[in-house]
Parts: sequence; structure tokens; C-alpha cells
Amino acid sequence: MTKDNVQGAGEEEQQAQSKKALKKQQKEAEKAAKKAEKQAKLAAEQQEADEDDFAKDRYGICPMVQSQQKLDRALVRVQDLTPEKAEQQIWVRARIHTSRAKGKQCFLVLRHQQFTVQALLAVGDRASKQMVKFAANLTKESIIDVEAVVKKVEQKIESCSQQDVELHVERIFVISQSEARLPLQLEDAVRPEGEGDEEGRATVNQDTRLDNRVIDLRTTTSQAIFRLQSGVCQLFRDTLINKGFVEIQTPKIISAASEGGANVFTVSYFKTSAYLAQSPQLYKQMCICADFDKVFCVGPVFRAEDSNTHRHLTEFVGLDIEMAFNYHYHEVIDSITDTMVQIFKGLRDRFQTEIQMVNKQYPSEPFKFLEPTLRLEYKEAVAMLKAAGVEMGDEEDLSTPNEKLLGRLVKDKYDTDFYVLDKYPLAVRPFYTMPDPNNPKYSNSYDMFMRGEEILSGAQRVHDAQLLTERAMHHGIDLEKIKAYIDSFRYGAPPHAGGGIGLERVTMLYLGLHNVRQTSMFPRDPKRLTP
Amino acid sequence: MPMYKVKPVSPADIKIDVPSCMYKSPNVHAHGMNCGEHALQNGEVDPSLKALEERQDEVLRRLYELKATVDGFAKTVTTPDADLDASTPSPGPAESVFKGTADLDSLLGKDLGALRDIVINANPARPPLSLLVLHALLCQRYQVLSSVHVHSSVSAVPPPLLSCLGPRHIDSYARQRFQLGFTLIWKDVSELQMKFSTQSMCPIEGEANVARFLFRLLGAEPQDPVAATQMDCWIDKAVFQLSEGGSKDRAAVLRSLNAALGRSPWLLGQEFSLADIVCACFVLRAGQTTSAPVNVQRWLKSCQNLGHFDCVYPFLQ
Repeated sequence: MTKDNVQGAGEEEQQAQSKKALKKQQKEAEKAAKKAEKQAKLAAEQQEADEDDFAKDRYGICPMVQSQQKLDRALVRVQDLTPEKAEQQIWVRARIHTSRAKGKQCFLVLRHQQFTVQALLAVGDRASKQMVKFAANLTKESIIDVEAVVKKVEQKIESCSQQDVELHVERIFVISQSEARLPLQLEDAVRPEGEGDEEGRATVNQDTRLDNRVIDLRTTTSQAIFRLQSGVCQLFRDTLINKGFVEIQTPKIISAASEGGANVFTVSYFKTSAYLAQSPQLYKQMCICADFDKVFCVGPVFRAEDSNTHRHLTEFVGLDIEMAFNYHYHEVIDSITDTMVQIFKGLRDRFQTEIQMVNKQYPSEPFKFLEPTLRLEYKEAVAMLKAAGVEMGDEEDLSTPNEKLLGRLVKDKYDTDFYVLDKYPLAVRPFYTMPDPNNPKYSNSYDMFMRGEEILSGAQRVHDAQLLTERAMHHGIDLEKIKAYIDSFRYGAPPHAGGGIGLERVTMLYLGLHNVRQTSMFPRDPKRLTP
Repeated sequence: MPMYKVKPVSPADIKIDVPSCMYKSPNVHAHGMNCGEHALQNGEVDPSLKALEERQDEVLRRLYELKATVDGFAKTVTTPDADLDASTPSPGPAESVFKGTADLDSLLGKDLGALRDIVINANPARPPLSLLVLHALLCQRYQVLSSVHVHSSVSAVPPPLLSCLGPRHIDSYARQRFQLGFTLIWKDVSELQMKFSTQSMCPIEGEANVARFLFRLLGAEPQDPVAATQMDCWIDKAVFQLSEGGSKDRAAVLRSLNAALGRSPWLLGQEFSLADIVCACFVLRAGQTTSAPVNVQRWLKSCQNLGHFDCVYPFLQ
């Protein structure tokens, strides 16, 4: 290094420094300029915002409704917005389904349960720019109150349920705001599976739905499913009450397991433990011995089965029937099948809208049945299966695939999705099943199937204490545990029979869905305890 | 205890002067006799009364028998080939007209220990009358479990259609006791359809074709190919011209029926056959039987007399 170089470097340094300083200064100047610009812009906007907001009092966020005042205002439901109300000025409370701003206009779709309607907010003499901006920024799912004029439209709005009208908004207030980020989008939740894969759009998988059940239940499909389920329960009750049945409530905390020791939940009961009822079987029968003749009960059933299948839940709603008969248990089968047929007819005639709505997302064949219900005997079923190539013994129980195949064969021949299979082999039924009088290998028991899956298992019950004791011993059951049960038949018991169905399973099979969790509001299975 | 004795009103032996031109009858009041014994001793009157009574009974009985025989003959004359029991005065259910035999196993497949169920899907707007007649004939030959169902595609069906196969059999709870099942389902179908064994048989469509299948089960098919062809020809005429054709076609069929029935009592000659069943049902369904030609009306009356068509009349307007 020479002095010159050092000097040169120093000079360069100085030059560089000054260059650097220059650059720095330039940068700072730029920043300051930008900041000033921004501030000027904001100021300008503020000015804009302050000036000309003539619509200030026609929109906003309402304070939380703590019942401060009692407004005498009639709110019209979305489903009642029809061309008859054209030109009327009405108030509507609904959720924001979607909102889309386009220049000086904002298109909102308002939704209430299954019904949607389009609403339009345009800058004009009633609405200011700020109001339109406010509407466009509202979060989805917020609940709003809207005052609007109902207008008829010439072209039908295909995407909404109310296709002939739209609302021209005059006032818009937020009653309850929703968080901006939703865990799942409602359009995705309603999209059919195939469509999602094809167009690359998202569908929501079952676990996400069940974790955020509150939002998932808002979809049109879920609303339709559970309204239909409510219809099933109501038709069940109405039909049985008309037949002279009495509704009873049975205890769910019991001292001994009724069906078998394996699948029962234990609860701690003060100093001892008790069990949650697996079925109301014992108590239904005791009611018959207590002269109620025809009883039914609707209540929860708890099965601690560690099966993670599409059709098992640990807790479900059981609809159970028990009936005393005169001479033959077929009187009871006829009564039960007639009840089921009345339920199917009621659903077919009164719930078509709901069925169509579910089919949009989950297409399926309509449910077919015969009146009076088809009754086949177990031997016929075995013959049909053998003719179709299945190898099975005459007294073997039907496995699930065989049941499904049998369902398809019966559908082919008789075109019905619902039928009864009578006279099951005695070996595969519980100890309280009455054996067949003519053939000791068979029993007076029956199963009912919907779309090839079993929904009801029933039988004529043994009503004689001695025979019951023999059968229990034959099955190796501890007599001490069922002493109270056997005792109820010692003081005169009428011959009786019955059966029970699961509400969720029946709804699932009627609609042709594939997983019972879709028809259970807050399902319980071995892996899920909340919500 | 001695019986109460009435004291004699008049002494027993009174001498009366009786004119000799009168008949003499024994003294009723003679001591120690009562009327009954007296009647027995007097043999000529009572046995002859008895004999008279017996003769009267005999004559009356023979008269009734004769009347019944004449009635039977009268019916036989108008319905040849019918096998009516001439001694029963009231017309009971007709005996089976067909005497042939049919092997159910070869026609319907091996019996696997389960009820062999024939399923027929029909539209309630067009009840299959010929199949109802064939059902009645089958019930006479075999033990048939009949049932009627309404499919969910139809909302309501008039009550006569629900009981068209007759009352429910007492043993219907034990399906295995029957040789054959006959299940009629009222359904919203465009064409009548029959299903039997879905794995090995395709469904049979059309009332006439199902009728041909069921007729085979009675074992009464004509063995002679000419007769069999004529039978098929008549059935096709009934299906295509009587029910599906216009009024001109119908008139033409009625004329040819009239001509054929002028030559013989039944369409195929002396034997009652499926051709008569199908054609009669289609003619009855087309209506206006009172304006049909003479031979056709006579033939329809014969069919009615056979008794198999009773199930059909409730469905004609």
C-alpha cells in the first residue's frame, strides 16, 4: 500500500461516505414524501367521510340487545318474501350468507334457515358511499336487521330460494357480529362430494363438521335432515297413540345389565356402582305384566360397543314398542309394520321439500315399500341366498354382507326397501326369545330391514317363569342377576312381543345417507365425547 | 202308581138296534181296549196310510231328483264340456275344468324348501282380469298363498282391488305349507310385469305373456301344434286388436269371434282353453257386451256359467 493509495482510499471513503449519506438522505426524503402522501390521502378520505355522510343514521352496529326496549316492529321471515309483498317496506332479520361489492353497489344474500333472498344496496339518495362500504365489509354469518322495499324481478334469481323477489335496502343494522375467520365455509359444507373433487373446490370432511357442529347444523342439508327426523319421531308417537298405545318412561340407571355384560357403561352410584340401560327391554315387559297391554317409549339407549362403523353410536335414541297379543305373535308384527308404513307414508307425503333438499347434496333413490309389508321366512331367505351362490348353513346367522345381498335380492324381486324376516334360528337369539312350537331349532323371532340393513330385532318373549329359567340356564346366565326380571312373570303374565328401532339409523336409511353421524345432532362414539 | 181311571160314562154293553144296511164297526167303548192297540189291530187302515205316506215321499223325492237333473242338463246344453255336479241344486264352485298334470319342479326350478313365489306388478288403472281367472284356476289345483300389496309409488287403491284375490287363507301365517305363492303388487308401472326367480329368469312383460306362463302351470296346454298356434293367434288378436286397436279393429275381432263361435262352442273347438279366458276377459273389459253378436253373447254366458269368471265381474263398470 502506498501513501497515495491510502490517500486515495481515504478520499474514496469520504466520497463513499458522502455518497452513502446522500443515498440515505434520498431514502429518508422518499419515505417522508410517502408518509406525507399517505397522511394527505387519509386526511382527504376523512374529509370525504365526514362530508356527505347523509346516511349516517341508516346503518351501523347496534348495541348488544339486552332487552333495553320493546320495539313494536314486525319482522318478516325470509321464507315469506313473495311477489305478493311487492312494493311493501318491511323489516327482515337474517344472517349474511354472502356479500359482494361492485363499484357503487353491494349485493348481499340474506339467509334464514333454508331460505335465502338477494338484497341490493346502491349508492343513491337513500344510501351513501360509506354505507355501501360498511355493508360490503360486514362479516359472513353476522345477524343483521334490514329495512327494505320488496321488489319483483323479471328474471328469476336461480341461486336463491326466493327466486321472484329482491330487497332494496334502506337501513341496515348489525345485531350480532360474527368473527371474520370461520372454521368452515357453508358453501363448502353443502357441496356434494363429487362436485368438489371435479372442480377443485373444497368440501368439508366429517370430523371438521362434527367439531364445529354449531355452524355445520346451519346448512340447508342439516336443517332438512333434522326436521325430517323430528317428523319421524312425531309420526311414531301419533300412529301409536291412535292405535291405543300408552307412552311410558323407563329408568336409565339400572342395577343389572339387560342384554349381556360386555357392552354396558358403568356409573358410580353413591357407595356402589350401577349401569346405564342398554335397552328398555326389561321395563317394557314389566309394564305389560302390569296390565298396560300396549306401551311404547322414546329415550336414550347406551351401548358401550367399541365399534367404529358407519352405523354404530354409543348413545342413540331408541323408539321401543311392546304389546300383549291374543293368540299369535303375528298380531304384533302386523302392528309394528303398520306403524312403520304409516311413518314412511307420512314422510313421503309431508316432507318432500326436505327430502329433495337432502338429495341435492346426497343423491339417492327414493325409499320404496309395500303395504301390507312383505314378510319372508328365514328358510326362504336362505334359499334365495343359496340360489345366488352364497354358502351358508340352515341355522347360521346372517352376516352383514349377506344381509346386504339379501336386501338387493328382495329389492330385485319385490321392489321394496323394507321387509320383515320371520322365524330366525333359536341358537342366535337372546335367552328370552320364545322357541317355535313346531320346530325346536327355530324361534318366534323376527328382524326388519331397511335398504338391506337391520333396523329392528324383535321376538315373542317367554312369559313363563319356569321356561325362562330353563332358557337362561341353557345360555349360562347367572340367575341371581336376573331374579327381579324372572319374578315379574310369576304372577300371571300375558303373552307378548315387541321390538325397538334406532331413530338415527332409521332416518339415515330412509334418506339413503351413509353415516349415522350425519343424522345424530351431537353424536357419541368411542372416539368422540364433545360437543 | 195306578193311572187315573175315568169312570165309564155309559155301561159297556148296551144293545143297540142298528139298521143292517150300514157298515158295522167294532164297539170303541168295549171294556179293556185303548185306541192305540185298537189301531194296530186294525191293520188295513194304518199300514196303508203309512204306505201311502211312503209312496208320497218317494214320489216327491223322485220329482226333486228329476228336476235337478233337468236343470243340470239345461246348463250342460248351453255350456258344453263343463263338468257340473248335477245333483247339487245350487251352483257351487265349479270343479276344475282342466284334467292335465304339470310338473312344478321342471317348470319353476327345484324346490329348495322355500315358498316358490310368483310376483306380479300391475297398474291399478288396468286390472289384469285374465290373471284373476287363472289365479282362481290355480287355487283349485295347488295350495296357493295369495297376497295383495300396494306399492309406495301408488297413493291409494280402491278397496275391491285389495280383495281381488279372495279372502286371506287361514294358514297364511305359515308360508311353508303352500306349494305356490301368488303375490300381486299394485304399482305405478307402464306395462304389467311378472318376476319369479330374478337370478335365472328375466321378468315377463304383458298380461297375455304372463297368462301363457300361468296356463302352463295348469298342465292344460294343447299338445297339438295346430291348436297351440290357433290359441296364440286368438290371444294376440285379443291383445293387439281388442284392447290396443281402434273401434274398427274391435268390430272386426267381434265378427271373427262370432264366426268361430258359430262353428263350435269354444274358440278352439270342443275344449275350453286359455284363448277363451283371455278373449272373454278382453271383450268384457272393452264393454258394450249387450250389443255384441249373438254367438259371442252366448259364449260369454257359458263362460259365466263355468263359475271361474265370478272374480272378474266386480271390476266391470
